[in-house]
Amino acid sequence: MQPMDRRKFLLSAAAVGGGVLLGGCGSGGGSSSSAGSPKKTHPPIGQEPGTMNILEWQGYEANGTEAQTYGMLAGKDYTGKFGPDGLKYTYIVNDTQAVNKARSVQFDLMHPCIENLQDYVNDGLVQPWDTNLLPSFKNLNPTLTKKGQIDGKQYFIPWDWGYASILYRTDKVAPEDATGWELFWNEKYKGRIAMWDGAQSNFEVAALYLGFPEMDNLTPDQVDQAKEALITQKPLNKFYWKSEYSDMQPAFKAGDIWISYSWQDAYVNMKAAGLEVEFMDPSQGKLGWTCGFMLGATTKNYRHAHQYVESFINHASCVDMVNLFYYGSADATVLASDVKDKDLATKLNIGDPTALSGPNVNLQSWMPNENDVALAWEEVHAA
Amino acid sequence: MTVTSAPTIQRNGLLARLHGRAGRGWLVVPTIAFLLAVLILPLILIGFYSVNLMTNLIGVPTEFSLRYWEDFLPPGSNPFWDRFQTSMVITLLVSVAAVIAAYPIAYYLSFVARRRRYTLLLLILAPFFTSYLLRVIAWKVILANNGVINSALWQLGLRDHGDGVTWLIYSWFSVALVLFYTWVPFVALPIYVVLENMDTRLLEAAQDLGAGRLKTFLRVTLPLSLPGVIAAFVFVLIPTTGEFIAPLLVGGPQSYMFGNTIQGFFSDSPNWNYGAVLAVWLIAIVLVLVLLFGRFLSTDLRESKAPA
Repeated sequence: MQPMDRRKFLLSAAAVGGGVLLGGCGSGGGSSSSAGSPKKTHPPIGQEPGTMNILEWQGYEANGTEAQTYGMLAGKDYTGKFGPDGLKYTYIVNDTQAVNKARSVQFDLMHPCIENLQDYVNDGLVQPWDTNLLPSFKNLNPTLTKKGQIDGKQYFIPWDWGYASILYRTDKVAPEDATGWELFWNEKYKGRIAMWDGAQSNFEVAALYLGFPEMDNLTPDQVDQAKEALITQKPLNKFYWKSEYSDMQPAFKAGDIWISYSWQDAYVNMKAAGLEVEFMDPSQGKLGWTCGFMLGATTKNYRHAHQYVESFINHASCVDMVNLFYYGSADATVLASDVKDKDLATKLNIGDPTALSGPNVNLQSWMPNENDVALAWEEVHAA
Repeated sequence: MTVTSAPTIQRNGLLARLHGRAGRGWLVVPTIAFLLAVLILPLILIGFYSVNLMTNLIGVPTEFSLRYWEDFLPPGSNPFWDRFQTSMVITLLVSVAAVIAAYPIAYYLSFVARRRRYTLLLLILAPFFTSYLLRVIAWKVILANNGVINSALWQLGLRDHGDGVTWLIYSWFSVALVLFYTWVPFVALPIYVVLENMDTRLLEAAQDLGAGRLKTFLRVTLPLSLPGVIAAFVFVLIPTTGEFIAPLLVGGPQSYMFGNTIQGFFSDSPNWNYGAVLAVWLIAIVLVLVLLFGRFLSTDLRESKAPA
C-alpha cells in the first residue's frame, strides 16, 4: 500500500498544477469498455489530448519525468513514446485522503490500494480497464487481479504488494516480548514505540490484538473495544508517525524509538544503516497490502492511460521496482531469482505468488464502516 | 501598526468624512470582493458543513442537523472537548510566558539600547528570514534523543551514553517550548512600539516627584504600556489556539492540540462535518477574544498623548 507517501510526507502535500478540472464526481462506471469493443467507444490515441492527471505515491512517478529521482524504470516505454510533459502528478498522503482528493478532482489515473477499491467504484470515480489493451496483464498474479474485480469488471490493475508489521530493535527488545502485535501494548517499552497515524491500519492492529475474527468488518461494539485498546496504548507511543521517511526512519535511526509499525522498505533501510532490527512475524499474522492502477471515470485519455499502465506492469519494470524498493510485484513472472538480495527475497516472500494468501497474512480489505472507524480514531487522537 | 488617518478625520469633521467616503468608497470594492470570495464564502460553507447542509460523507443525506454540535458541546463528554480545554490552557500558558519574556526585551530596546536598537531589532527579527517549518525542525535536532542537549549531557558524563532525557521531545514541554520560542520576538514588537511612543516626560515627572526606579516602572511605565502588553498577549493567543504544525512535528500522542484534531478531521478522516463543527467553534472563540481585547489592539498612543 502506501509505499512512497512515506517519502517526505510534508514535502509531498503538493497540489496538482494547472489543467485540473474541478467539478463534481463523474457519472462513472458506465463504460462498456471491458466487455464491448473499445474501438467503437473510444477515439484513436492520436485524437486524445495526452495530458494526464495522475494520483500517485511519491517516488512512483514515471521514468523520464523530473520528479522520478530514484531511477525507477517503470514508465520509460510511455515517456519514450509520448514524452514526459503531459504527465502531472498529485500525491497520495494516505488512503483516506486520496479518496477525498479523487472526489473533488477528476484524475485520469489513480494508484490507490485495494481496500479503497470499493469506495472509488461506489462513488463512480473509476471505470473498468480493457485488459486486452494491456499485453502484460496475462503475467499478473490471478489471485491479485481477481481481487481487483467488481461485478466481473477489472477496475484495479494490481502492481505492488507487501507487508506491514512491527519493526523492532533486536538489541533492545527481549525475544520473549517480540511475539505479536501485543508488543505495542507492552508497558516495558513505554516511550519507545511509534504506531502509524492511520485510522484503518490501527483499528486492524487493535482487532488482531483483541482476537476479532474480521479485522475489516468490526461490529460497533468491536469498534468501541478497539478504540479503548488504542486509547490504553496511546501513552506508550513516543509519537504517531505521519511520514515514514521524515519522522519514523530518522527517529528509529536516532534511537528515539525501538518499536514501530512499518513497511518492509523501512526494515531494509534500517538493516542497511547497520541497526540490529527484525521485521516481526506476529503470531496473529502480518498485515498484507496491494496497490494498483484505476482508470478515471471521465478520462479523455483512455488509450494513453492503458499504455501508461502497460509501461509499469511489463516484466522489466516489475523486476526493477522489486530491486529498488523490496516490495512484491503483482507480476507472477518475477521470481525470487530476479531479486539481487536473495535473503531478503526469501524473508519477504518476493516471487511467491501465494504470499498474500498465506495463513499468516491478513490482507487489508474494504471497511464498510470506515466513517465510524475514522471518527473513533479521531477520538483516540483527542483522548 | 499606526492609524494616521484617525486624527485627520477628527480635525476635519463630519463633512470631510462623508465626502471622503462617497468619493473614494469604490476603492475598497476589490478588497471587499476578495474577502467575500476567499474568506467569507468558505466560512459560510464550513458553517453549512457543521450543520450537515453539506457533507462529504457518502450515503449521509444532506439535511439540517445539529447532531455533531450536540455531541461536541457540553454537558456531553467527549475527547474533543477535553482536547479543546487542554489546548486552551497550553495556549494561555505560552502566551503569558511569551509576554513576560518579551517585556524585558522590549524595555531594553526602547530605553537602554539607544543607537544599537535597530541593529538589535534586526537581530531579533532575523529568525523570521527562514521558514517556520525549518525553525521547528531545527528544534528536533536540538531536542532529539541523540540531539544537541542529550549529547552534551553524555559528553559531560551527567547521563549514561544513549540514555537521553525522554521528556525533551514529543511532549507538552517541547510543544510549549517551540511555540514560546516562535512567538517571543513577535510579542516584543507591540510592547516595544508602545514603549517607544510613551511620553518620557512622564518618567521624568515621576522621578521629580520622588518616585524610585521601581516605583516609576510600576506606577507609570507598566500601566502606560498595558495596551501593548495586552495586544502582545492577543498576538500570541489567537494564532496559537489553532496551532497544529509544532505539535505535529515535536509533539507526542498526548500533546496534540485542538488544531491537530481539526486538521485530522479534514485530512486523515473523511468526516468534514465534525471537523467543521470544531472549526466553527474555534472561529467563534477567536471572535470572542478579538471582541474582548480588540480595543487594545491599536498601539497608537498619539491620540491620548497629543492635546486636542
